[in-house]
Amino acid sequence: MHRSRGTTLLALALALALSISSIAAAQTKTVGYPGLGLEPGTPGGTLTLALGDSPPRFFYYGEISQPIQLLSQQMFDSLVEYDLETYDLIPALAESWDVSDDGTVYTFNLRQGVTWHDGEPFTADDVVFTYEQIITNPEARAGDAAQFTYTVDGETRQVTFEALDEHTVRMTLPAPSPVFLLQQRFFIMPKHALLPFSVEGGAEPAEINDAWPTSVSPSTVVGTGPFRLSAYVPGQLVRLERNENYWKADEAGTPLPYFERLEFLIVQGTEAQTAQFLAGNIDQLNISGAQFPDFKSRELAGAGFSVIESPALFGSPPHLAFNFNAADSDLAELFSNAEFRRAMEFAVDRERVIDDVYNGLAELPGTPTAPVNAAFYEDTTGLFNMYDLSAAAAALDALGLVDTNNNGVRNISATRELEFTLTYGNDSAVFTDIATIIQNDFAEIGVRVNLQGIQASQLLGTGLSGDYEAIVVALGNLPDPELRKPIWQPGGSLYYWHRATQPASPGESPNFDAMEPWEVRIWEIFDANSTEMDADVRAERYREWQRLNAEYAPVIMIAKPGNVAAVYDTVDNFVYSLGVIPGYNPVPFYFRR
Amino acid sequence: MLVFFTRRILLFFPTLLLVSFISFFIIQLQPGSFTDRYLEDPRFSPEAVERLTAQLGLDRPAIEQYGRWVWGIVTRLDFGFSFFANRPVSTMIGERLAWTVVIAVVTLGFAWLVAVPLGIYTALKRNGFTDAVASFVGYVGLAVPDFLVALLLVALVLAYGGTNVGGLFSPRFIGEPWTWAKLVDLLNHLWIPVLAIGTAGIATIMRQMRANLLDVLHADYVRTARAKGVSERNVINRHAVRTAINPLVSMAGLQLPELINGTIIASIVLNLPTIGPLLYDSLLAKDQYVAMTLLLFASLLLMIGNLLADLALAWVDPRIRYG
Repeated sequence: MHRSRGTTLLALALALALSISSIAAAQTKTVGYPGLGLEPGTPGGTLTLALGDSPPRFFYYGEISQPIQLLSQQMFDSLVEYDLETYDLIPALAESWDVSDDGTVYTFNLRQGVTWHDGEPFTADDVVFTYEQIITNPEARAGDAAQFTYTVDGETRQVTFEALDEHTVRMTLPAPSPVFLLQQRFFIMPKHALLPFSVEGGAEPAEINDAWPTSVSPSTVVGTGPFRLSAYVPGQLVRLERNENYWKADEAGTPLPYFERLEFLIVQGTEAQTAQFLAGNIDQLNISGAQFPDFKSRELAGAGFSVIESPALFGSPPHLAFNFNAADSDLAELFSNAEFRRAMEFAVDRERVIDDVYNGLAELPGTPTAPVNAAFYEDTTGLFNMYDLSAAAAALDALGLVDTNNNGVRNISATRELEFTLTYGNDSAVFTDIATIIQNDFAEIGVRVNLQGIQASQLLGTGLSGDYEAIVVALGNLPDPELRKPIWQPGGSLYYWHRATQPASPGESPNFDAMEPWEVRIWEIFDANSTEMDADVRAERYREWQRLNAEYAPVIMIAKPGNVAAVYDTVDNFVYSLGVIPGYNPVPFYFRR
Repeated sequence: MLVFFTRRILLFFPTLLLVSFISFFIIQLQPGSFTDRYLEDPRFSPEAVERLTAQLGLDRPAIEQYGRWVWGIVTRLDFGFSFFANRPVSTMIGERLAWTVVIAVVTLGFAWLVAVPLGIYTALKRNGFTDAVASFVGYVGLAVPDFLVALLLVALVLAYGGTNVGGLFSPRFIGEPWTWAKLVDLLNHLWIPVLAIGTAGIATIMRQMRANLLDVLHADYVRTARAKGVSERNVINRHAVRTAINPLVSMAGLQLPELINGTIIASIVLNLPTIGPLLYDSLLAKDQYVAMTLLLFASLLLMIGNLLADLALAWVDPRIRYG
């Protein structure tokens, strides 16, 4: 590109002036990802993204909500964040940290010169306030008190937080935790703005949830993040403006973020979002494999955008679960039998789901660790009973499940057909297709399935209530299995397919009597790994757990969908977002080509 | 007249109480709980479920929840709070009321302005070519759901490279002060919902108007008017149409609650910041006080609409006034 010398010089001088002023203002962190193909960009312009719903409020800890999380990601920072390339934890608001040898004392050295959007300095008091008054406040609706409560020798003890000086924070754990740092991706909140809503400021514990309703004046919602709140038009749009004092700069010294404005257009529903994207009102859209053919053909026809696919570390792979504790005792006995579940696995056509439902943008799943998760993934696909209807039929025959009354449906007993209800989310195209494929294939081997559609958001609640026979649910993958312990550890609060293992009342020890031997082993693995600090020992145990899962199929993992995004070619430096994951934010690197 | 009016107003209260009672218990019958939507989040521990349930008062018996809500309305005009947004329901409705009314008024106005003259015209030119075309279009408009019309219009706009595919403004005008350019942008977006939602209304009103007028045109007093030598124009406008339009006035009253629940799906498809999507979301999420307040509001509008229609009818039709 040709540019006159005058403007180049001017731009250089401007960039220099800007970088000098920002270095003076804050301990700037220079970041660049040449490995990802990111290059220094040009400041200015507006980026428009979609927000799937109106934010119920602007206070991150007041409501578990995707829109709030998306917005908070741009307005707030955490102590540590993910490296966009390696997913390693790297310094953010904490410049560095030390961990004591026994793994119980973490000392965070905070970045100096960082300011809140209203100009107030960011200090250790803000960090202590955020953890002590908000995150560990059990009444905060989106806090995480449980994460900071440890049970040591049967005694409940809390993590303590202290400010050693203006820029140093010490956290003391009752016991070592291998995932403690991974959990420090909590957004840090301003003490000066939120004190009146906290217990320290004289409020009731539950009043913390009253902070920052959507009717609040935008300038009072202050963070340290790359963008600050500028306007909210109910039901239509949230507008953010660039934080000119942000603490990151690119390799050329240009302060980040590049965009002057970041707009979130509130658009509900896939169709409406697609229309807004195709009309060019939205610059980037996360899509699903199901929408892929339409987007790809438009891309090839020269629509000016690209469809980008990447393997997903986070996200929810769907599985098929049978209720070990189904109300019907015949079914409960059958579903508790690993041989039955393994027989049914032969009739789950994973390849077809990957090809037809996800249009190829998915892969064979882990059990359940994501294949891209190098630290923990064990390739158990060799242990899978891949689609083979005759093998499924033979295995059911071997279990004595044969069609005794010649009506095409196998019998559990002379009077009882092998028939059950499969619950799925009928407001999701993916779940509906998977359920239908399963129903058809099961019918082929003489197993009658009646479909029952419910809202996808009610699936886990239905699972936990035990009011189902078989169900298709998608549950989260997180980087460390410890973070999903309540789902995968037998007796955990979300271990819904075998609820008999759960303790009589929360907090007590689980019901080991109800566990199968392999479940006891899995319980031990998770229990030991909670406090194990040796990474290799942990990984080895978790690999064993995944093999047990493949062998006994507590649930039948179906597929691991990839991430798919469509982005207009005018947006440069696009790194596909992992989604709404705190501590992972590529947006400051995007710029207008 | 005053007695009639007062009696009707007094009847509102027991009706509303009944409506609120029924809607509350139907919402309770829905399986699952408001807190289910959070279960998948790692932060939502069993203790958190308990705390939130207690905070929202969902641990109390259903009848107590209902009683407290009604008592709040009766004593303080407090319609409860949204579980989801943690703020009073009234402020959430207020936020969306203005655009809801604007869109409804424009849509209804459009439908009436097109439908009534069209109905008169097709009645006068019965069985002509225009009548056939208008009736055909009318039936199609009636048969095709409004959200489908909306989707088709959006697809059409997209095919011709337009950017006005939903919402009321282009992103750059949202939240900015009013200018001519912004008004033009609004009109450029507004025609889609007006057309999509209005089409079904047009067909209904037009067919009603046509049928009424046809009945009246053969009535004795019209023949008498003609025999007296009244000009054809006056016969139609002053004698026939005035009588024929009466049933439409009562119909207009029934359309008032459409403000809220008539166009939910079209509003979602077109991404309009109106009350319809709010009702839809609150019902799905079991955000019970929002849902109940909106249902209550809709039934109140229905009753007010009916009352207004009766009053308007008395005003346009001397037979009712003096009857």
